Amino acid sequence: MKYILMMNTMKASQQGQGIMGWSKHDLEAHIAYMMKLNQDLTNSRELVSAEGLSFPDQAKRVRAANDGTPITDGVFPESKEFLAGYWIVDVPTPERAYAIAARASAAPGRGGTPLNMWIEVRPIMSQPPK
Amino acid sequence: MKYILMMNASSADWNSYAKWSKDDLAANVAFMRNFNKELKEEGVLVATEGLGWPAKAKIVRAAADGTPVTDGVFPESKEFLAGYWIIDVENAEQAYKIAARVSGAPGPGGHGGNIPIEVREVLSGFADLNL
Repeated sequence: MKYILMMNTMKASQQGQGIMGWSKHDLEAHIAYMMKLNQDLTNSRELVSAEGLSFPDQAKRVRAANDGTPITDGVFPESKEFLAGYWIVDVPTPERAYAIAARASAAPGRGGTPLNMWIEVRPIMSQPPK
Repeated sequence: MKYILMMNASSADWNSYAKWSKDDLAANVAFMRNFNKELKEEGVLVATEGLGWPAKAKIVRAAADGTPVTDGVFPESKEFLAGYWIIDVENAEQAYKIAARVSGAPGPGGHGGNIPIEVREVLSGFADLNL
């Protein structure tokens, strides 16, 4: 079964806080932890893909006008969560997906303290719903 | 440049989707299949996935000892990712045009839903964060 692990860390109201205010040392430790996690998941053949996204200030909402042309907007509700990055893993059970999510959750933050951030875990659909 | 196109939906949106008629669902699925095929033919599709129902979503965090703590309760305002496309195009405007195409996917009664699609650049590595 394929599962997606989503890091929804950034809120519109928190822009400019979070990771950008960290020391270089803390950032490097965080990045090294994430790279090691990706390497371990590659070695165990559980990693399908992983991506990191740009900061929320780059995000746009796009919808089609009646003639199909794009209308763009950069304003999001205050409660909006922004996806910071995700992993797709192929594992036999949800418990294994949760264990991997817990590892990502424990990535080091300021002063090397584990962030223990929430990671959203959902199955990927192999085909459209019936 | 790689961009991600995200289709987000609230719990209410998901509930109404579950009540679409068979014909409306079939038209939407056919549109999405054709859209994916077109993006492949245009040579811009990197990846696409559809996600399972929010009822199957869990939030997971590590306890102090690293073991997973799971919870299935989300705030009312929570938007759930329904699916995404990653495309490789020259600039943001091309990404917005492609997002507008999928925004017009047919909804109930075959009318274009003109749903909002969130568009963000995908990073090729941590260096791209320019921290």
